[in-house]
Amino acid sequence: MAEALLIEQRKGLALASVMARKGVSAQDLGKAFGLSALPEGPRSARIDSLSFWGTGPGTWLAIADRFDPGWPQRLEQIAGRLASISDQTGSYALFRLSGNGARTLLQRGAAVDLDPQVFGPGSVATTVIAHIGAIIHRDEAGYDVAVFRSYAESFRDWYDSVAATV
Amino acid sequence: MRIPCPYCGERNSGEFVYRGDAAPMRPEGAEGLFDYVYLRENPAGPLREHWYHAQGCRNWIEVTRDTRNHVISGAILAREARR
Ligand SMILES: [Zn+2]
Repeated sequence: MAEALLIEQRKGLALASVMARKGVSAQDLGKAFGLSALPEGPRSARIDSLSFWGTGPGTWLAIADRFDPGWPQRLEQIAGRLASISDQTGSYALFRLSGNGARTLLQRGAAVDLDPQVFGPGSVATTVIAHIGAIIHRDEAGYDVAVFRSYAESFRDWYDSVAATV
Repeated sequence: MRIPCPYCGERNSGEFVYRGDAAPMRPEGAEGLFDYVYLRENPAGPLREHWYHAQGCRNWIEVTRDTRNHVISGAILAREARR
């Protein structure tokens, strides 16, 4: 990450929560989606253009890179008998933070250790940044932060003021 | 104080809602309801207590905390504690 700090809002995504039904394992659900298992801890998995972030025991946030009118019925067809699927496309705003200082910036708001030794690519943390509920995901190139959509402007205010100091 | 969530890892206690002693069980009928709602032991030593990880994985967890020094000796999901 040697480039300049870049913060942008990711648009055009499709989101849904996936909650395993009683007795359904992360392996059962993963197999339905073509993975060996969905992550059993706060980590992510990806197949084709679909990502899963672990947000709690038996719960995941599913994120498709591109919204299509078949969402989230497409997920229901795959896993509707194994999990409860609810559309979250309008519920979260996703911000992309990359480049120099992205970690420093996030670390000034999040009280979880973002050191690459403990928060490497594929790590997920559901926490708060400046009292705003946030799900942080780390990949090879940077961080995604999902906040409740109605807090997007507050989150923008927060990173504008902090970015000035990074 | 940091609470060790079994799913999320160690987190600031501000992310949690405290609910107190995990021992009382809701009675079937009216008998014993007063005790269940109002009466609590006040032990000096290890106490199993409920914390809700509201700003994290949104799960109830059962934490064993020593009330004399706040040392936490364990934490499991409440749903597993009841098994
Ligand atoms: Zn948690």
